[in-house]
Amino acid sequence: MKKTTSKLKTWMKGVFVSSLALTVAACGTGGQEAKPADNSAGGQSGTAAQPADSSGDPQRLVIYTGRDKNIFEIVLPKFKEKYPNIEVETLEMGAQQILERVRAEKANPQADFWWGGTQSALATAANEDLLEPYKPTFADKVPDLYKDSQDRWYGEMLLPEVIMYNSQVMKPEEAPQDWDELIDPKFKDKIVIRNVLPSGTMRTIYSAMIFRQGADTPEKGFEWLTKLDANTKEYTQDPTNLYLKLDRQEGVISLWNLQDVLIQSKKNNHPYDFIYPKSGAPILVDGVALVKGAKNLDGAKKFMEFLMSPEIAAQLAKERFQFPSRTDISKDQLPDFMKNLELKPMEIDWAVMAAKEKEWMQHWDENIKGKGKK
Amino acid sequence: MRAELQQAPTAARRKSITASPAFVYVLVSPLFLILLAYVVYPLFETFVASIKIDEEITWKNYIRFFSLEHTANLEALWNSIYISVLSVITCGIVGVTMAFLLERYEFPGRKILSVLALVPMALPPLIGVLSFTFLYGESGIVPRAIKELFGLAQVPFSLKGMWGVVVVHTFTMYTYFFMTATAAIKGLDPSLEEAAASLGANRFTVWRRIILPMLTPAMVASSLLVFMISMASYTAPLIFGIDRTMTMQIYLSRTNGDLDMAATQSTILSIVSVAFLLIMRWYQGARNYQNLSKGVSVHRTEIKSKAGRYTTIVLSFIGTIILMLPILVLVLISFSVDGTWTVQILPPEYTLSHYMDLFTDSKTWRPILNSLQLSAIAVVGIVIFGVAAAYAMVRLKFRGKTLLDVLIMLPWALPGTVVAINLIAAFSEPNAFSFGQVLIGTFWIIPLAYFVRHLPLVFRSTNATLMQMDPSVEEAARNLGASWWYSFRRVVFPMAWGGILAGTLLAFVQCIGEFVASILIFTSKTTPLSVAVFQRMYSNEFGTACAYGVLQIVVIIIVLFISRKLTGDKAGTAV
Repeated sequence: MKKTTSKLKTWMKGVFVSSLALTVAACGTGGQEAKPADNSAGGQSGTAAQPADSSGDPQRLVIYTGRDKNIFEIVLPKFKEKYPNIEVETLEMGAQQILERVRAEKANPQADFWWGGTQSALATAANEDLLEPYKPTFADKVPDLYKDSQDRWYGEMLLPEVIMYNSQVMKPEEAPQDWDELIDPKFKDKIVIRNVLPSGTMRTIYSAMIFRQGADTPEKGFEWLTKLDANTKEYTQDPTNLYLKLDRQEGVISLWNLQDVLIQSKKNNHPYDFIYPKSGAPILVDGVALVKGAKNLDGAKKFMEFLMSPEIAAQLAKERFQFPSRTDISKDQLPDFMKNLELKPMEIDWAVMAAKEKEWMQHWDENIKGKGKK
Repeated sequence: MRAELQQAPTAARRKSITASPAFVYVLVSPLFLILLAYVVYPLFETFVASIKIDEEITWKNYIRFFSLEHTANLEALWNSIYISVLSVITCGIVGVTMAFLLERYEFPGRKILSVLALVPMALPPLIGVLSFTFLYGESGIVPRAIKELFGLAQVPFSLKGMWGVVVVHTFTMYTYFFMTATAAIKGLDPSLEEAAASLGANRFTVWRRIILPMLTPAMVASSLLVFMISMASYTAPLIFGIDRTMTMQIYLSRTNGDLDMAATQSTILSIVSVAFLLIMRWYQGARNYQNLSKGVSVHRTEIKSKAGRYTTIVLSFIGTIILMLPILVLVLISFSVDGTWTVQILPPEYTLSHYMDLFTDSKTWRPILNSLQLSAIAVVGIVIFGVAAAYAMVRLKFRGKTLLDVLIMLPWALPGTVVAINLIAAFSEPNAFSFGQVLIGTFWIIPLAYFVRHLPLVFRSTNATLMQMDPSVEEAARNLGASWWYSFRRVVFPMAWGGILAGTLLAFVQCIGEFVASILIFTSKTTPLSVAVFQRMYSNEFGTACAYGVLQIVVIIIVLFISRKLTGDKAGTAV
């Protein structure tokens, strides 16, 4: 009996030691973690509560962004110059991941500013009450079409969706000149498309194809998309793969946004060119928003004003082919190609399209994708 | 990593632990508490989300899932199971064959090859899968080379669709079989075979009746691991455009804003994996093979015949090269000029600039340090908890063992995204499990996610070694007066060391490569390596991304190498 108790003791000791170790480790994590979080939170709320003045304590501004490094390297140093006391942190993610994160962090938002979201992602977030309304000083310079009616998000730039082709393989006159030419059987297996559902760009194009043939008669649009599916060789999972497949001539035609076509061909050496569809192109808005419950709303507002200022907009237009959503930027400040290109928009009722998009895309996914050939 | 899940011989044990059988629950409760906090609670939240729509409890999502009208979900479920079963079979064939070639026979170069065979483990998931398309895709090196060689009009084959996924799974997951099979072969007692042979059994009978049955526990354990990661696999279906898998459906539902459907799909995915776990446990229980011999002898056969010798060398060499190819391709791309490789078989222009960019950028090293640090912290937790849980499973007798097993294995069956979203949802507000802290946006959420996700590796491998160990050794120590702690430290731990270490290594390597969950929880100060690689790709610096990926592989190989040196060849082979 004595032996058992002593054994029991040692057993207990062992288990205690191990559970203690776990608790200590866990407590350690809790404790240490608390400090930086508390400090930064305290610091931020402190400064945010004060009226904005640049001489205050250093502020931390957290930006979730779908833009890439080439763009922050233009914007961030200048912002730092103007607001030396704001420490900017950028976290690069895909637009979808930003939505996922902002949504998951709803109870305790980590981001202040959302830079670079598709209209549909931003609208979804706005409907889920994840965005903070704010009317910027330039509010009336952005057409109603390119902003939220309740000021929860603003379009930063316009992305006309165009027909893109590999210029090593195809001459401009051989490429499809308008949407309806895409379904011509002569382009069979020449088209590669970035996977539609996860891509704001592609969802917009596909929904627009349905919309332009009548939102009330989606069957017509579906039929058209079935023909497009028949011509589509492959759906690629991301833009990188789309570019690879076009470069490597697995496909020669795609549908894509004008800005990326220009960046890829003019900056990154890819052999691409584009056709602006005769009947007009759906123009997607890519926007920015303040995150609801942001710890540094003040900094986020400053950043928004700065990012959309005419100087920065013009610079991004020149260097990164961004079409600004503001209408008040003088033509002299814009690069030549923008002056010459008339952005003819496709007539779209965006509210109707936004309302139908999910249903249409689900239908496409379940009933059309990959079935056109059968 | 052998999962022998039978009950340990306990008649003698119980007395020695405590007089009251209920006491054991006090001992294992900390384990359950931790699992409750970090696995059950987040999972429960997901389940609630799947049945609660507009504040009402309804099963309509489940009805929709199984509705025969829109079969997308059922198709996805079927595909996922189909791919996973196929992956288990192919991984089993490749892994076991390699293990036999490299472990059973002695020939020159065996040692180097057996290290190289582990390297595919280091392949970063994101660009790793891409390198397969560069190799075997429609415009890949191999199909194009064959086309040129034989003057064909079209490429003869290309890796795509479902088979693409299975091939990628085979290449990246065979290591689980390889490691367990290697250990099992090591543990085979040659005297058994000799006995059978001397009783007149022919070679075939020896294989069928002795060798294969003895491998059963190891095979079951690795099948389980492979099945579960295949179910949770996300990158491969993504790259090969297989939308109809459970993981992709979850992703698409979330993209479409269908959050409750995504929760439903996650729940169903968990149920399928748990079902598989239970079937495997049952199967193993039904076929109880235990190696009762004490010492294990070295019994590598020196291949005597010249022809056999060369065949073995050549076969293992070819096998290893094929398994290494994806990594070699990444290295190749990291040296080629972006955008120049179009219709040629191999990249036409080479440059060092991607590496120059990396080495001159001060931001390159931070993610590497981050990843090492985050993974190290996670792995410490995994080892403490994994060993404790495995010890409890094998040596203690209590109800709820199956539950413990299921809880530990569950996060493996879920896609990383779901685990991450569960964690964010659970820890975005202070609660008891996070010690009243908000964990999201902090450093600690990442090690926590890694901990939850990779715990099964140490748990399984330790479990297996403890099962192999005869409890009488520990008893002997205790009878000689050693305290529990002393005998644990000096007897149990050293004997289980090989298994613990192997699991630890696997876990560490997996943590360094973890991407899918990381992308949702990283902060700018804790960007892990895999996210940094992704960001380079996102900025369209493809070559630099590959160079970064190569750096990641190098880091992992160094880790493997150091741990091998430290443990003198035990790690990896002793699982």
